[in-house]
Amino acid sequence: MGLGFVVGIIGGFLIAHAAFSTIQYRGELKIMEEQFTGPPFNVVIELLGGLGLCLWAGLAVPTKFLSILPHSDENRVVSLPANLDFMVFNHRGKVLPSNPDLKLKI
Amino acid sequence: MVGLGGASASEAAQLARLEEQAAHGGGGAWEYLCLVRRLKVRRPEPVLRLGLSLLNDSKARSKLGSEEWTLYEQVAIAAMDCQNIDVAKDCIGILKKKFPDSLRVGRLEGMLLEAKGAWAEAERAYAVLLENNPNDQLLHKRKIAMAKAQGNTTLAVDYLNKYLEIFMADHDAWRELAEIYVSLLMYKQAAFCYEELILAQPMVALYQISYADVLYTMGGMENIQTAKKYYSSALQLTGGKNTRALYGVCLCSGSINQLSKGRNKEEESSELQALAAEVLTKEYKRQAPAKLPIVTEMLKTMKLS
Repeated sequence: MGLGFVVGIIGGFLIAHAAFSTIQYRGELKIMEEQFTGPPFNVVIELLGGLGLCLWAGLAVPTKFLSILPHSDENRVVSLPANLDFMVFNHRGKVLPSNPDLKLKI
Repeated sequence: MVGLGGASASEAAQLARLEEQAAHGGGGAWEYLCLVRRLKVRRPEPVLRLGLSLLNDSKARSKLGSEEWTLYEQVAIAAMDCQNIDVAKDCIGILKKKFPDSLRVGRLEGMLLEAKGAWAEAERAYAVLLENNPNDQLLHKRKIAMAKAQGNTTLAVDYLNKYLEIFMADHDAWRELAEIYVSLLMYKQAAFCYEELILAQPMVALYQISYADVLYTMGGMENIQTAKKYYSSALQLTGGKNTRALYGVCLCSGSINQLSKGRNKEEESSELQALAAEVLTKEYKRQAPAKLPIVTEMLKTMKLS
């Protein structure tokens, strides 16, 4: 988990640095009065690298993903909820001896 | 609050594991209590024991923060279920001091009167609460539960029908009504309730199995054929693992063969029956090999009958 975080931070930093470089490049172009056709090649490489690292971190940092397929084995409903809103208290469990030690200490 | 579909196999395993762990003093009591609350299972004894151990420990209690009050409510209900009225009274007393005019606490007090068996007083308490909150679902449901507890099933059915006219989307109420109808042997009405449930939640196999059970009980060629279809659908939803649905398919096929003995046999797929029988024997071989001979005997007699 720690490694994922570090990788994510590095990826984020790379993307931020690429953005900063592009802004600097545009500034230089304005001085030289040329058109802005696109960021320089190394900035593109930096962007792609940052994208890859952030993607990897985004998938690695969270814990196990939950399954969304309704037919997968983990998602099959095995038992229904016990309908607690209609619960009655005069069931046969009344005759079981209750534990007298269970008391709430106020 | 309408309940969602119940526990899946992995959640049930997790619940059992946490219960084991907490029972042997290995911590995880709070996770267990949260899981019980989320899955809406009924486990009064562990909840009471573990909840009290958390509440009596002032350090653990202060760590809970505002969830402490939910825990008091959960422990109060578990205590009432275990007939431990004193603990329930104490918990409700504490909740009442903190939230003096709350509907939720008023409901708990009504439930306490129910647990003590003081039906008339509980009735009065609920009537007072209903005057101020006529649209509260849980209050209506407690009235129905009281009628059920006193054995007055016709009154319970009456109340439930009136409740469902207003709150038609409440699956728990439909389920309760279906079960009461089955206990009163009113199978056609029970089938209607299960049909509503299947319409509302078509992916829950258990409603379809219950519906098929009721149809099979009613008997008659068409009902049994429909029951077989619903058992097969349930098998599809559970990936072929539900033993009750497998039995259902086998028994339905057996009954259909018996009923259509005089008439000309329509060539229905006997593949389904053969496959179901095969999967059944395989499951028994895997899980309960000692009972396998009984199952094979029964299947043999059905194929011949």
